[in-house]
Amino acid sequence: MTTPPVAETPAIAASGIVKRFGGATAVDGVSISVRPGEIHAVVGENGAGKSTLMRILAGVIAPDEGTVMVNGTHIDRGAKASLDAGIALVHQELSLVGEMTVAENIVLGTTPTALGFIRKKKVASIAAEALAEIGVSVDLKEPISRLSVSLRQFVEIARAVARKPRVLILDEPTATLTPAETDYLLTMLQRLAASGIAIIYISHRIPEVFRICTSVTILRDGKLVETTPIADTTPSAVIDAMVGRELKLDLQVRRTASPGDVVLAARGIRAHNVNGVDLEVRARQIVGLGGLVGAGRTELVRAIVGADPRQAGTVTLTVDGVAHPIGSYGSAVRAGIGYVPEERRTDGLALSMSVADNVALPNRHTLSRWGILRLGAISTFVTNLADVVGLRPPQILREVGEYSGGNQQKVVIAKWLGREPKLIILDEPTRGVDVGAKAEIHRLVRELADKGAAVLVVSSDLPELLELSGLIHVVRDGRIMGTLAGVEADEKSVMSLASGETMVGA
Amino acid sequence: MAEKESLTEVIAIAEGATHDPGIEKKRFNFLVWVSERGIVVFTIVLILFAVIFVNGFASLPNITDVFYRAAPIGIVAVGMTFVVISANYLDLSVVAQVATAAVIFIGVSNEYGLLASFAVALLVAMLYGVVNGVAVGYFKANAVIVTLSTTFIGLGLLRWISGGSIFFGPEDGPIRLFGQVKIGPVPLSALVLLVITVILWWVLTRTNFGFTVRAYGSNKEATRLAGVNTGLVVIGAFVITALAAMVAGFVLAAFSNTAVSAMADGYDFRALAAIIIGGTSVFGGKGSVLRTLLGVIFVSVLTNILVLSGIGFGFQQMAIGALIVAAVSVDALARRAAKK
Repeated sequence: MTTPPVAETPAIAASGIVKRFGGATAVDGVSISVRPGEIHAVVGENGAGKSTLMRILAGVIAPDEGTVMVNGTHIDRGAKASLDAGIALVHQELSLVGEMTVAENIVLGTTPTALGFIRKKKVASIAAEALAEIGVSVDLKEPISRLSVSLRQFVEIARAVARKPRVLILDEPTATLTPAETDYLLTMLQRLAASGIAIIYISHRIPEVFRICTSVTILRDGKLVETTPIADTTPSAVIDAMVGRELKLDLQVRRTASPGDVVLAARGIRAHNVNGVDLEVRARQIVGLGGLVGAGRTELVRAIVGADPRQAGTVTLTVDGVAHPIGSYGSAVRAGIGYVPEERRTDGLALSMSVADNVALPNRHTLSRWGILRLGAISTFVTNLADVVGLRPPQILREVGEYSGGNQQKVVIAKWLGREPKLIILDEPTRGVDVGAKAEIHRLVRELADKGAAVLVVSSDLPELLELSGLIHVVRDGRIMGTLAGVEADEKSVMSLASGETMVGA
Repeated sequence: MAEKESLTEVIAIAEGATHDPGIEKKRFNFLVWVSERGIVVFTIVLILFAVIFVNGFASLPNITDVFYRAAPIGIVAVGMTFVVISANYLDLSVVAQVATAAVIFIGVSNEYGLLASFAVALLVAMLYGVVNGVAVGYFKANAVIVTLSTTFIGLGLLRWISGGSIFFGPEDGPIRLFGQVKIGPVPLSALVLLVITVILWWVLTRTNFGFTVRAYGSNKEATRLAGVNTGLVVIGAFVITALAAMVAGFVLAAFSNTAVSAMADGYDFRALAAIIIGGTSVFGGKGSVLRTLLGVIFVSVLTNILVLSGIGFGFQQMAIGALIVAAVSVDALARRAAKK
C-alpha cells in the first residue's frame, strides 16, 4: 500500500463538512484531502452529494459545519476568497457567455485592465497561454456560440487553468465528450497534475477514474463511505461501495426479435451539419447512431422529426401500410413519432409543472373532450405510466424539477409511451442518469421495440450503444460513414469509423 | 410488486425506501411562502386593518365606490394574466384597447345602436389580439416592444378617427342603465368582473388551451416539442386579453357614460401591478386568475385607504411602484431559494 509522505501539506483539506438544505442533509460530515500533483476521484450516485461538496470546496456555497484549508491555511468564505486562494471549479453546466469570444470568456472575472480599460493584448496572451497549456487550438476571436459543446468544455477548462490554480476541480467534464475527446482530456489532466496542480475529478465513468486517478473518495447519501488509493481497489469494489449493494449489470442481453417492415424512411436529408443521409428503421428494430459529439447526430434526428428545418430530403412514416409524409414537427407527432431530446431540462420538461402535467401535455387530445381536460382520466393515465417507467416516489402531482435526473428522464419517456409511438427517437437517453435508472431506461427501450415500435437511439455512451442497438450507423461530418450489425460491432469498430481525424480543434 | 423484473427495482425494494428518495426535499422558506401564499394573508390583514382603523372604509357608499373602481382594471388584469403566464411579460396595448372599446361603445351606439357597437368592438378586439399574437407568437418579436408599438398605432388611430373629442352617451341609454344598476352595494360591473374571473379561471385550469398556455409559459421549447402549435397558444393568450379589455372598456364607459381616448391611461401598469402583487410570476408558467383577483382587491383597497386618509395621488403612485418592486423581488428571490 502506498502511503503519502506525512510531512507534505495537502493542497486542499476539508474536514467534517456538513451541509443541510432544510430538512435534508446533502453532505454529512465528509472529510477530504488532496495533495499537490494528485488526481483524486470523487464518485457516487446522483444525489450522493458530490456536486454540493465541490461547490463548498470552491466557496460557492458555505458549509453549515466544517472547515476548508488551502495549503495549510484557513480561507475566508465566499467564491472570491476561494478563487484568490487558487481553487478553480469547472462546472457541470457550462457557464460561458455565448456572445463573447473565446479569449473574453477565458479572462471573464479576471480581465486585465489599465485605468479601467481592457488590455486587449494581455487578454489575448493570457487566453493563448491557457489554451496552449491544455493543448487545444481554437480561434481566440471565435464567439463561444459557434463552438461545439465539447470545444466549449475545453474552453471552460482553459478558463480555470488561466487562473493558475493550486486546486482544479472538474465536475463530470466528460459527460458531453466522446471517447476520443475524453481520452485527450484525461491525458491533459495527467500532465496538469504532473506540474503540481491538485486535481479533484468527479465522474460517473469508473474506467476513467481507474485510468488517471491516484485515489478515490466514495460518497453515498451525503456520507463518506471510504477514501482509498486506486491501487488498493477494483472497479467492481468501487461500484459496490457507491451503490451499497451488489449490482451486476447484465450487459450481454441481446434481443432476438427479428425486425419487421420499414417504419421510418428518410431520404437525402440535408440540414445544418447534416450532409445527405439516408436512413431506415424497421418495426421491432433498435437502430443506434454512433459518432463523436458534433458529428451531426442530434441535428440529423431533429431534421428527421422536423424539430429544425430541413434543407432537402423526404421523411415518411409507414403505419399499418399507410405512408405518412413527415414535414413539420406537428405532422411527426400526429403520425406517431415520439422524440426524447438531448437536453431534458431545457427541451424535454416544463420543470415548474407537475409530473402529471408534463406527461399529459403530448397526450392532451386523448385526455380531453371538446377541449375540456378530463382530470380523472389524466390522473389514471399518468399514474399507470409512472408505474410503467418506475418513477420513484410515484407522486404525480410533484413538480418535475424536484425529481432527480434519472426520474426526470423517465418522465420524458413516459410522455411519449402513452401515445404508443410507432417510432421513438431517443437522443442521449441516459446522460447524467445513475446506474439504476439507466438499467431501467434500457429495459423500457427494449420493451418498446419488443412491442413493435421502431426505435432510433443516439448515444455517445459506447457500451450503451452496443448493448441496445441491433444495427449501428456511425455518423461523421453529418454523413453515415459506416453501418455495423449489432453482433459484429464493438467499441473499436465504432470508434475507428467515428474518428479518423484530429481530435479537438480546427 | 411481483411483476417488477428490473434488477434495480428489486434492489430498491431490498434497500427499503430510505435509500434513494429520488426527490429533493422541499424546505420551508419564508420568501417562497410569501410568493405562494402571501397575497391571501396580506389581503385579509389589509381589509381587517381598513375596517378597524380607517374612518369611513366600512360604509356602504365607500364599498360601492371601491367596487366601481376595481371592476374595469380587474377585468383587464384577469385577462392579461394569460399573457403574463405565457411568459410574454405583459400587453401594454390594453391602454389603447380599453379606450378604443369605450369610444366604440358610446360613439357607435349613439349612431347605429348598441348591437352594432358590440360587433365593431368585438372585431377590433380580435384584431388587436391577433396582431399582437402573430407578431409575438409567430415572428418571435419581443412582447413589450410589440405591444408598446400597437398602443401607439391604436391610440393614434383612435385620436385621428375620433378627432380627440369626448363622447357622451344619452342619459336614458342602455349603457348608462348598466352603469347604474346595483345589487345591494355591489354594482353590476363588479359582478361582471367576478363572472369573467370564474370563466377565465376555468379556461386556464380546465381546458386544453389553458393547459398549453401554462405549459408554454413554463418551457416554450419543451411545449413545442410535445407537439403543441405554440404560435396559436400565444395568439390565444393575446386574444383573451383583448376580449377582456373590450369588456373593461364597456364597463368603464358605463361608469361615466362618457368615452375619450385618454381614459385608460395607466391601465397597463395598474393591471400588471395587480397580477404581480397577486403572485403570478413574471417568469411565466406560475400563477392564476384567482390570484390576480386578490391582487386587484389588494391594490384597490390600499388605494382607497390612502384616499380616505387624505394622502395624495403622488404618494399612491409611489406606494404601488414600491409594492411592485417588492413583489417582483420576492418572486425572483423565491425562485432562487426554491432552486437551491
